[in-house]
Amino acid sequence: MSIVKKPKALSKWYLPGILSGMGFTFKKLVTNLFNPKAMPTLNYPEEHYQYGPRFKGNHVLTVKKDGSLRCTACMLCATNCPADCIKIVASEHEDPTVEKYPISYEIDMLRCVFCGFCEEACPVDAIRMGPEWQTPALNGSNFIYDIQHLAYRPNLKGGIQSRLDDEERHKAGI
Amino acid sequence: MLKCKINGKEVEVPEGTSIIEAFKLSGQDIAHYCWHPGLSVAGVCRLCMVEIEGQPKLQIACNTQVQDGMVINNNSETVKDVVRWGLDFHLINHPLDCPICDQAGECGLQDQYMQFGKYTPEMAERKVKKRKVVDLGPTVVLDTERCILCSRCVRFTDEVSKTHELGIFNRGDRSEIGTFKDRPLDNKYSLNTVDICPVGALTSKDFRFRQRVWYLKTAESVCPGCSTGCNVNVYYNEEGLWRVRPRYNAEVNGHWMCDEGRDTYKFVNRKARLLEARVGHKDSWQSEAPGSAAKQAGVKLKEVLESEGPESVALVLTGQYTTEEYEAAIGLFQSELNSTLIYHWVNNPESFEDFDGLLLRGDKNPNTKGLLQALEQAGIDRPWQDLLDRLKAGSIKTLVVAGPENQSVFPDQLEKLEMFKEVENLIWLTAGPVEGLEHRAKPTWQIPLKTYIEKAGSFVNHQGLKQSFQVGTIVVSSALTLAEAVTLLAGQELELSAQDQILQQNRKKNFFTETRGAL
Repeated sequence: MSIVKKPKALSKWYLPGILSGMGFTFKKLVTNLFNPKAMPTLNYPEEHYQYGPRFKGNHVLTVKKDGSLRCTACMLCATNCPADCIKIVASEHEDPTVEKYPISYEIDMLRCVFCGFCEEACPVDAIRMGPEWQTPALNGSNFIYDIQHLAYRPNLKGGIQSRLDDEERHKAGI
Repeated sequence: MLKCKINGKEVEVPEGTSIIEAFKLSGQDIAHYCWHPGLSVAGVCRLCMVEIEGQPKLQIACNTQVQDGMVINNNSETVKDVVRWGLDFHLINHPLDCPICDQAGECGLQDQYMQFGKYTPEMAERKVKKRKVVDLGPTVVLDTERCILCSRCVRFTDEVSKTHELGIFNRGDRSEIGTFKDRPLDNKYSLNTVDICPVGALTSKDFRFRQRVWYLKTAESVCPGCSTGCNVNVYYNEEGLWRVRPRYNAEVNGHWMCDEGRDTYKFVNRKARLLEARVGHKDSWQSEAPGSAAKQAGVKLKEVLESEGPESVALVLTGQYTTEEYEAAIGLFQSELNSTLIYHWVNNPESFEDFDGLLLRGDKNPNTKGLLQALEQAGIDRPWQDLLDRLKAGSIKTLVVAGPENQSVFPDQLEKLEMFKEVENLIWLTAGPVEGLEHRAKPTWQIPLKTYIEKAGSFVNHQGLKQSFQVGTIVVSSALTLAEAVTLLAGQELELSAQDQILQQNRKKNFFTETRGAL
């Protein structure tokens, strides 16, 4: 949409506009020099903006108490995903109480639209969206996150534990 | 014929029809688990309750026969309440396994819970825990917690397969399905129990956890596993085929199919297929596009034909292709190459006439009858010995073999390859790579063909029943059908069908023009 503004009479003259503009710039320069904390901008690479803990950024796969994946590979997140970016390969677990688990869980972050539907679809609190959002990489393949990255990347410090506990659930008769 | 009224709709049914069958005939919904049209009546799930005018209490529709003038309904509040409670009782001990359950998406409990669910469970007691992941045999896994004891599988082994492996053990809420000691569920029809299980208690080892059913599309086809020609539904996605299940046909297979037939998806998937034509011999093999390889082979064939005469070219056919392909191949061979040396490769002559009394037949080709009919139509009747004599005499210079699609039922393939060893040029048309052909010392063409699910056509089964089927999905798009391959071999050009032409034009324009509106 373009708005056509008719030039005002004053702007026909070159200097008044330039001078008032430069005056504003110098005023800001001086205030920023003497009171840098009032600046609304951040010095980006050195300073990061801290979003709230509920910010829905990069995905995290939660783990159980023993550190294994909480995910049961039910594929509801993949089914619900509007961007079709989750790819899961399920397999049979040797423990009959676990039964099914993912041997591969990949999220293509370049396709992801961060809608959070995967988190909502998950019946076992296995996938969450964490506060991380600045994750640059050198090439496209680095944006396909696998289990190792989603659940055990270094800044998660051994993985985030799920609220659900299997033993408690079995005791409760679920 | 008896007249009755179902939910206000006049229905006429033959004598001896049960109410539930009358519901099905009139096209109305009725909740049920244990009743199956192919099995006897058990009446254990108590879900198909109906109200019959003049009777004080509700009756089960599966075990009550229709009488003249009956007025039946299942949409009154009483019936609905009873079904709701019945379903709630089924769910008392049913675990919340849906995320890891293979049946999710096609589960009777899920479907009917949406319709008749109480949604507010009133059970305070804990669920009874039972055995999970019980290995029943080579094909089936049992989860006793999920079982609602409808006894369909037990009745199947008692009545259809007559192997009596399964039974219900213990009493009350501790009752569970199981096998007897030292007698696993191991028969040739065991996977039918998985199909008829309305919940996820019985799951197929072959399909378990491989795919979620809602990702799969279905195509109707005919099983190529043997000459019975069971009607099947094939489940596929863009990666290929995942499973085969029976489709009801009263004349051929009823509700069932054998376990062997369920493996017929394996040779169709890309892993087991020849993706490109292989041209050359033992020391040098080259990959080529199927079409151009067939054309090259055709040029060679013509050369040999001109120098050696029509008696130098022979065609060997197996019973694995469609009738239409046979007619085209035999016709082209006779008209274009002037050769009548066409032979029928019988894979297992000793057990050809075998029949196990239910579905399985010894003739492991879907279309032997169709081939024999096509040969008879063309007036060709040449015994196998004739080919052997000619091979021995060395008069056949070029041999075209339409090899088996399903190589696992051709145990004599290597033996036959040994027989064809001395032929100057061998053109082998096949769906999958042929073991042993790599070591052939003389010029060979391996040309990839399409499988049964990738082409339209018809099979003539052992009864002489002609069953047509359509293209389900395409797994290897560059592969040729037998008819196309023989057309190219005969030096003719392929004609694009109108549909193909439109598709090709669309593809040229833009991908999005095809899928607009679906995005």
